[in-house]
Amino acid sequence: MNPDTSLSQIASTKRITIYRDMVLIAAGFFALIPLLAIHRVTDFMIFCIFVMSFDLLYGYMGRLSFGQMLYLGTGVYVSTLFSLHFSPNPILSLMAGVVGGAIVAGILGLIVVGLEGASFALTNLAFNQVGFFLIGSAFQRVTHGEDGISAGVEPWGFLDFANEPAAFGFVLLCLLFTFFMLRILTSSPFGIIIRSIKENESRVKFLGYNTFFYKWLTFVLAGAFAALAGTLYTLYVGFVSPVFIHPLNNVEVIFAALIGGAGNLFGALIGGVLFMSMKDSLSTHIPQWEWILGVLLLVIVFWLRGGVTGLIKSLTGYVKTKMAKGMAEEVEKG
Amino acid sequence: MLNVDGINAGYGRAMVLHDVSLKLKEGETVFIVGRNGAGKTTLLRTICGLMKPVQGTIDYRDENILGLAPEKLAQKGFRFVAQDKKVFSDLTVRGNIELAAYAAGEPISKAIEKVTSIYPDIKRFMDSKAGGLSGGQREILLIGRALIGDPRLFLIDEPTEGLAAIVIEDIFRILSRLKEDNVSALIVEQNLSVVSRLADRIFIMKEGKIIREISEKSEMADTLALESYL
Repeated sequence: MNPDTSLSQIASTKRITIYRDMVLIAAGFFALIPLLAIHRVTDFMIFCIFVMSFDLLYGYMGRLSFGQMLYLGTGVYVSTLFSLHFSPNPILSLMAGVVGGAIVAGILGLIVVGLEGASFALTNLAFNQVGFFLIGSAFQRVTHGEDGISAGVEPWGFLDFANEPAAFGFVLLCLLFTFFMLRILTSSPFGIIIRSIKENESRVKFLGYNTFFYKWLTFVLAGAFAALAGTLYTLYVGFVSPVFIHPLNNVEVIFAALIGGAGNLFGALIGGVLFMSMKDSLSTHIPQWEWILGVLLLVIVFWLRGGVTGLIKSLTGYVKTKMAKGMAEEVEKG
Repeated sequence: MLNVDGINAGYGRAMVLHDVSLKLKEGETVFIVGRNGAGKTTLLRTICGLMKPVQGTIDYRDENILGLAPEKLAQKGFRFVAQDKKVFSDLTVRGNIELAAYAAGEPISKAIEKVTSIYPDIKRFMDSKAGGLSGGQREILLIGRALIGDPRLFLIDEPTEGLAAIVIEDIFRILSRLKEDNVSALIVEQNLSVVSRLADRIFIMKEGKIIREISEKSEMADTLALESYL
């Protein structure tokens, strides 16, 4: 959604545009199947949900968190333990994971959303580190620590994650649901308020908004959607280990959001797919492939601040200007 | 209406305001005049809750408002228009107005009418990005936006700073309109032509202190004498 659109226009954005975008996204992921294996596309989509959750926090609200893995990991472990100890139903496990992620984000959000800049980023990292320690060491008897633990999810009706097309379809539905919800949210007055907080929080306060509440709610929603991605890993992979909550993996989601272009849901999707593609292809051909990501990040920071979507916007703007100039010259000649 | 009493405030250990006291009556337009670094902006920032004084009290309608968050003050009718003329640059002019209307719970049409009533020309820019407006237009948008809801007290920091003479007249006209509407205003201003034509009272600040209060019309009209304080 173009940020310069007025609130009333945004609020009345026709749902049809969102549905059109959703069809495009679904078609895009279907088109990837012949290029990659279907299980890799499913993996990509789960990661894209995670990137969208991070983008809500960073791209839209301007808060860079180094701890988003905590919420993905909470979703992973809550859904796994729920499936083992309460019900093997995948939908109930998914719901438990999402609620778990939202609750943890709700509690920690009360502490972190009052912070800004490096304090916000590092406090989130610290909480992520604590979560990693709890899962990997302190609660080892329950989580099996580094050894990992198998989820107890069983097939439910058509929903059988051992069946790759069924898993693909379900994850695609979850991705489209996430896109739809975040698109509605970021296009609403709420979305405009969080974007304005990113631009100038003091001014938003002076208009009478309780910015703490809006930041907290955004933090909780970002945590819940990250947990959704986590629960999908549980359902799809069936075996979880502390790698799903490891603080170092925050780098991946940050890279993906920056590559795609922050503050844009399409950017999150493009970044997610590009990052996963690079990770897949580079890691098989180049040892210590991560240095290439480092170089790419430098390119983005210095020359491509808007990421791929920013580059596309600039190019279309350039072409449009060129075409308009060409037409004007023709009219003059004519 | 507003009673600032014995305020001491600053940045860290560097105290900027020293025992500052002033009173503002309902419907008054009061100006604060002084050289750069006199503490005028710090005083406004302290009153509107951006800075916490180390000493002193601030009462608004007999209620102690010290320590109240800016959003609470906004709900009480405080409107702060900062010096930097920063609007929400990624939103349109309409978006900026609507953002304020949502906060104040005011119908959007009424909010837009309020802003266009003080500056009809802004209609032309309604759907343009606010970041593309000139400095003067941005200041007018900020003052217009502050009219939304139920404003009781305007705190305006250097509204005419860096603006062309013709735009200053627009700002003057808008401030006159506020005065006619009996809206209370505490304004930091260096343009003595504007000050002398609008002020009910003037406070002169120097080195973090209020050194004089001028309420005589003849004295306020004497811009040459006032200039000696700048």
